[in-house]
Amino acid sequence: MLQIEHLTKIYGEKKAVDDLSLHIAPGEIYGFIGHNGAGKTTTLKACVGILQPDGGEIRVNGTSVRTDPITCKKQLAYIPDNPELYDYMSGIKYLNFIADVFGVPAGERQERIRDYAARFEMTANLSQPVASYSHGMKQKLSIIAAWMHSPRLIIMDEPFVGLDPKASYLLKEMMREVCEGGGAIFFSTHVLEVAEKLCDKVAIIKQGRLIRSGTMEEVKGDDSLEEVFLELEAE
Amino acid sequence: MLRLLLKKQLTEIFRGYFYNVKTNKARAKSSTILMFALFTVLMVVVLGGIFGSLAYSLCLPLEGAGLGWLYYTILGLLSIFLGVFGSVFSTYSGLYLAKDNDLLLSMPIPLKYIIASRLLSVYLMGLMYSAMVLLPALLIRWVTAPCGVPGVLGGIALLLIVSAFVLLLSCVLGWGVAKISRRLRNKSFITVLASLIFLGAYYFFYFKAQDFLQELLRNAAEYGEKIRSAAYGLYVFGRAGEGDPLSLLLCAVAVLLPGAAVWLLLKRSFLSIATASVGTKRTAYRERALRSRSPFRALLRREFARFTSSANYMLNCGLGVLTLPVGGVLLLIKGKDLVETLSAALGPVRGACIPVLACAAAVLLVSMNDMAAPSVSLEGRQITVVQSLPVAPWSVLKAKLCLQLILSCGPMLFAAACAAAVIPGGIALRLLVVASGLSCAAFLAVFDLTLGVRMPNLQWTSELAPIKQSASVMVALFGSWFYALLIGVPYLFLCEFFGPEIYLAAVTALNAAACFILLRWLKTKGAATFASL
Repeated sequence: MLQIEHLTKIYGEKKAVDDLSLHIAPGEIYGFIGHNGAGKTTTLKACVGILQPDGGEIRVNGTSVRTDPITCKKQLAYIPDNPELYDYMSGIKYLNFIADVFGVPAGERQERIRDYAARFEMTANLSQPVASYSHGMKQKLSIIAAWMHSPRLIIMDEPFVGLDPKASYLLKEMMREVCEGGGAIFFSTHVLEVAEKLCDKVAIIKQGRLIRSGTMEEVKGDDSLEEVFLELEAE
Repeated sequence: MLRLLLKKQLTEIFRGYFYNVKTNKARAKSSTILMFALFTVLMVVVLGGIFGSLAYSLCLPLEGAGLGWLYYTILGLLSIFLGVFGSVFSTYSGLYLAKDNDLLLSMPIPLKYIIASRLLSVYLMGLMYSAMVLLPALLIRWVTAPCGVPGVLGGIALLLIVSAFVLLLSCVLGWGVAKISRRLRNKSFITVLASLIFLGAYYFFYFKAQDFLQELLRNAAEYGEKIRSAAYGLYVFGRAGEGDPLSLLLCAVAVLLPGAAVWLLLKRSFLSIATASVGTKRTAYRERALRSRSPFRALLRREFARFTSSANYMLNCGLGVLTLPVGGVLLLIKGKDLVETLSAALGPVRGACIPVLACAAAVLLVSMNDMAAPSVSLEGRQITVVQSLPVAPWSVLKAKLCLQLILSCGPMLFAAACAAAVIPGGIALRLLVVASGLSCAAFLAVFDLTLGVRMPNLQWTSELAPIKQSASVMVALFGSWFYALLIGVPYLFLCEFFGPEIYLAAVTALNAAACFILLRWLKTKGAATFASL
């Protein structure tokens, strides 16, 4: 589903991501963990075509993000760490805009908005301007927007930040639904307990380099993910 | 603490002069000096020159009549008017809507310091506009009629009093706008409407003032006496400019007392206005059938939504939408008289310039539309939304271009058709007036978007930065004025050699060629630049 091969991204003289390779297969929830500034966001942004890599290749279902970004972007959805939405639109207008861009038929978008907005208890707020939303509400709108076109691959940067417990639970359920339907999830998080319980596979990045990856059992063995992570960070 | 905040505010205002947002590096000293020099030339030579010539025409006659105070009164009032006019549009957002409100309010900073630092921005904006009138007026007065040290000190004190008074009025107006806008639903449109009424009043008084000044110069002594007896405050205001200590004291008190009241008003209301949530009136969502559109139409609608959501954006970058039709209607009413006057003034040979001058005038009006220039910068941090969506960067840019083309070419077509209806000449010439006008509007749209892509600034705390203070908008505005001159002036010298049809056809062809070149750049390198922002 998502193949990252020898990804390198350099800012000035600093290597933000250094020769990173990862493969995310259909049906997998892949967690991406690392300390602040380790290169998680840079990697995720490169995967969705926001940043151009300085080296390496990223493919979505075999299509290169570098050479055919539009085809890749049609298959995926991205939720950034900070939900930067258009303040000048209402929630419903924002969702309709996203649906237009992804070419979601009118009937389907109506149904999905009704369904997801009800799940996240956002229906009553859809006519309000996004500027009036709280951080959590913006995050919920971002999630609904990401699910609008039923993407095969969802890339999320710290998706649980700002969500209330119910919404966090819902999101986890929805992530599972995507994977059961043959899709894949690649997301970064600092909440190691969530990663441990939710992810099929996990990758740990430190100073731009991948230091461990594999199934949850392979990475943590008999320890907790937190212990392994702290141990690796200390090395 | 206050010094820190003032420094932060000054850094925000002058950030573009010291820091290149494109390269994320500090500018070289030479580059900073050059930018300041260009700004100074613009303010002093171009704008200062206009008001300097007005001051020069008033100074000697009034001084000769022993009415030096009246000189200061007239120019002082004009500078107050311009200062308030210049800063009123930005006072509300500058004072209350900065994006770092929450950050600053969460820190242990006394509220009065935050207000004071915001007032600095408003003060500097007002000072800049007032000084544009008063500084040349003072220099001309000091040079043409030397007045000694007290006179010089009085003039400087008058400038300070005027700038403080402008700050005071701007704050009151900004507070009023804040109070009203909290109760409005279509805030941006109502703000635009109110501003346009203000603008209309400004130009009405401006044109009336010309007649008034001429009348005043003819009967200076009589009017001087009338003003002195009927409005003694204005006499005191003028005398302050001459350096009269008692008048200076009275003027200072007249500003300081209401100033203290305004300060108290701001201190009491700032927190509630700055932290008022947007859209306080909540209406529950009622499901309606959603229409689907093509991705490009969705992007275009997004541009329209951005444009119409901000009164600042509409007022600063979209006035041509109104001025072109108004100009067209005025031409239909007064066009024949204007053509006759111009024909008489230009003579039989240069009379052929009228269609070209009409085209240049239309360019001046359409230059008020430069919404494409700040459109890239206005994406701000939300640029990642479009960058992550499956749309080609060129589609996003094309939507920005279409916004300006739609809002410029429609009104331009009407204005140019009105011009074509009143100018003398055959059908070919009339068609060429319309064609050249439209080609100019199209060229400016492409040119403005090119500037927007080449000079982006995505890191701003107030939307006024990209809309009013960005390099792309400055170059777009002054570049389009130069472009209007470039269209109108050469033909004044070339009209002896060929007719206006050939000249306007050449203008149209050159515009088309320039559009073609710029569009090619936008589709390729421009789109790549946008994608990598």
